[in-house]
Amino acid sequence: MGREKEKEKPSEKALSLLRSRLSDPNFIFKPLSDSPDSNYSKLKFIISTSVTEACNNSILLLGPRGSGKVAVLELVLSDLLQQYPEVISVIRLNGLLHSDDNCALKRIGWQRGSIYFPIARMALKWASYHGGVGLICFPVSYPTILGVAWDSSICWPLAKRNTGRKLLDSYAWNINFCSQKWECGLAHKTIIFVLDEFDFFAQGKQRLLYSLLDAMQSVNSQSVVIGVSCRLDVDQLLEKRVRSRFSHRKLLFLSPSKEETERFMEHILSLPVDSSIPHNYTAEFNGRLKKIISDERFKELINTYLSFNFTIGHLVRFQAVSYMDLDVGFLSLENFKTALSSNQRQPKLECIRDCSILELYMLVCMKRLEVKEHNSYNFFSVMTEYKSIHDSSQTSDNYAANVCLRAFEHLLQRQLISFIDNKGHNQSVEFRPVKLLISSAELHQGLKSSHQCPAILLKLMDR
Amino acid sequence: MVVLLQGRPVLLSRKDSGHSYSSVKRCERPSDFVNYLREALEGVISNLKGNSGKSNSKMSGRPDGTMVYLVFDNLERVRDWDKSSTILPFLFNLYDILKMPEVGLIFISNTSPDTYYLNVGYVEPVPLYFPNYTEDDLRHIFMVNQANRKLYAAFLDVVLRPFCRVTRRVDELAAALSSLFEKYCEPLSDKQVVPNEEMKRKLFSQIRPHIASALNATFHVQSQPLLRAETNKETKKTNSSRMSGYLEDSDKIDFHMSTSAKYLLISAFLASRNPATLDASLFDSTGVSDSRKRKRKASEKSMEQKEMAEQELLMKGPGTFPLERLLAIFQCITSLAEDSLDEEESHEPTTEGGSRGLMSDVLLQLSSLCNANFIIKGGSCPLEGSTRYRTAVSEDLALKEVANICNDTSSALASSVLVTQIHTLLYRTWQVRVDYISRSCNGVADILARFGRHATLKGSLLVAPLDRVALLVATDQKHWEEGRMAEGRMRAIPHG
Repeated sequence: MGREKEKEKPSEKALSLLRSRLSDPNFIFKPLSDSPDSNYSKLKFIISTSVTEACNNSILLLGPRGSGKVAVLELVLSDLLQQYPEVISVIRLNGLLHSDDNCALKRIGWQRGSIYFPIARMALKWASYHGGVGLICFPVSYPTILGVAWDSSICWPLAKRNTGRKLLDSYAWNINFCSQKWECGLAHKTIIFVLDEFDFFAQGKQRLLYSLLDAMQSVNSQSVVIGVSCRLDVDQLLEKRVRSRFSHRKLLFLSPSKEETERFMEHILSLPVDSSIPHNYTAEFNGRLKKIISDERFKELINTYLSFNFTIGHLVRFQAVSYMDLDVGFLSLENFKTALSSNQRQPKLECIRDCSILELYMLVCMKRLEVKEHNSYNFFSVMTEYKSIHDSSQTSDNYAANVCLRAFEHLLQRQLISFIDNKGHNQSVEFRPVKLLISSAELHQGLKSSHQCPAILLKLMDR
Repeated sequence: MVVLLQGRPVLLSRKDSGHSYSSVKRCERPSDFVNYLREALEGVISNLKGNSGKSNSKMSGRPDGTMVYLVFDNLERVRDWDKSSTILPFLFNLYDILKMPEVGLIFISNTSPDTYYLNVGYVEPVPLYFPNYTEDDLRHIFMVNQANRKLYAAFLDVVLRPFCRVTRRVDELAAALSSLFEKYCEPLSDKQVVPNEEMKRKLFSQIRPHIASALNATFHVQSQPLLRAETNKETKKTNSSRMSGYLEDSDKIDFHMSTSAKYLLISAFLASRNPATLDASLFDSTGVSDSRKRKRKASEKSMEQKEMAEQELLMKGPGTFPLERLLAIFQCITSLAEDSLDEEESHEPTTEGGSRGLMSDVLLQLSSLCNANFIIKGGSCPLEGSTRYRTAVSEDLALKEVANICNDTSSALASSVLVTQIHTLLYRTWQVRVDYISRSCNGVADILARFGRHATLKGSLLVAPLDRVALLVATDQKHWEEGRMAEGRMRAIPHG
């Protein structure tokens, strides 16, 4: 009894340790970044040279979701911030949030503004009194001014004059500032712009991108623009003038090779020797783990998983889903197998299995209409088919129109069928044409696996 | 901590310990939303951590088990929004954007994750699937909290399987089964009895005819007059009509409309279903053209064409019609109805009042029918710019309306608009006292009413009775006293 208690505690500890590892991106990506030709080192090299040699640079990090672009970037930035504490300042923008240009500038100003508030405030008051834009020669960055302008203590007095309103809203004004050759940072500080979801910034007029990249062309500015995107062709989306200012540096984050994967799994799942978990448990755990990993079936399993989810992020989620049986206390191959089968879901099949028999009838009727080359059908045509089935073979499932309409609406809700066009809102549900969202094979499989499906439906499908 | 997502502008509200929303912030942009959310969440998390007495966790930044979960319910509605293509990836990426390990996101949805695929990728949330209830699960669910478990179990044995063929949703089944169970228990005097086999068989044979009609019904709320009618009809054998949406036994429709509304509904149906070119022949006032046409024998090709046309009609649905056409058809129908009224009614003023009653509130009725979704307002015609309408009632309902009206026109009094409206008012849930003042005593009011009707809209102040009225006052008084002597139960109304 006591021994089991002891045995439970280490496995629980182990489990919590593993789980905390899986949710920490730093831990996951560090081992992959140790080699000199990894993306981590390349990125670090580029940024550190821009910082030390005070030159401008732009770079794109491309790769599918979950391949660790932002994680590696964060690793690099944290290292550099430790190395050069006062020289770097980082501004983060996200394409989902800040694709509107004014919004983005507001955000930049907000992130930068705290340092320069007093100076910029004076500058702004000066500008408003002189009614113009280009009279100030303070060496502050334009985003800072903007950040201050949104500060409420300045906003309202400025808004009272017409210039103030234009100040707050017009992008041209912002660009004007930029074109007055103010540097994008003071001479000894480098600003790193991190643009997440870069493809969202490339929509519309790309004014923000242009202004950022254009500002980099001036001699006095020091900035690095890092774009992160999962579209591999995002540089094709850039306008000509933006692309010409962009240094075509791209770092691709691709899927790991098989050996790398194995090393990664081992690294993640092996328990460290010097933790609080008792030594013999750790040793046994690691030993078993090694055996599993070198097992052929495990390799096959991982290959099947990776064949459709090939990024590290997905692999991590896979491991998060696989659970350890606490009674046994160790990982086993079966755990991974169950995790794999739970990942390979067939959602439409599950939906069909959940349908009632009347709903199955409707689906089969629609399938038959499609077979008869009716390109578009609505509820009434399905009802005629339904009635004809019941006339030809006297089944017990003959229900009234309102009940069938309710079943029809259930199918719409579960997205097994959908309306052909979304514009017909002034027609009632019974008249709008619908289409099937499942294929004939899926329907057939669903009918077979559903245990209450009447035999007649299968016969009708086969004909 | 509650986050409400309502359309494009997003409301962020905070729930304090008293469970009331203390502050609501409105934001139009996702970036504002994220800022507010982050502030709010940081506040909540520091509160939670402070409460649990952990002081150093803020410094270390490592998660220690205190979590805030944001639950997004009914996520499938977001798909129908205008900006769903930006909001959905935003929601799914919210975890990465916030970068707060203490925050968890839970999405609840009717549909599977593959219906949310967009061309912008996102990291899929971990799916957790809740399959639909099986029959055994449903049995367990319905047996909970039952007073008499054996009786209910016997009931479920009989009823559950056929109903599960139609739907397996708990809410729909619960509605259907509860009323059916009441019927099942009706012959039992003691509701707590444990049934034996004999009793089960009897109860089953008693409930069996009701099951079939219950299967064909969808849930609906009983309206007041029918309930009263139910209690009155004790001798009626089949009282399963309570359940069905369309009452098979009586031709009554279970909602009340004034006659003009019914006529309007029927004219809308006719306007939608018939093409405009047929209007002239259908509503020809002379009514002699049809009988003169020779009936040609229908050839096969024309039969086929007819079938094709019917199919097309079925597919396309009801057509649209402009307001003028609707009013024209309405006028035709009501003038025919008025003609029949004229033959039976001898009094001139009543008919005049009746027809005016039908026409005057047509536009009002039209807007109320549109609101009740009997008539749908469609797009406007590109040439004329007027709005077009479309009917939304089924053929059955329209036929029932027609039958209703025809039945009502059998008695002259019942066909009067006014009388029907009075019936409608009577059926409402208030207490009504009806006083009868015969026409011979009420000449003054009659004259005054007509005076008002013909006058202009401006009011006129009368300081003395009109000349026309002066004589009548005396006549009315005489008639009144005569009436009082003849029938003693009339109530006194003070004469002006």
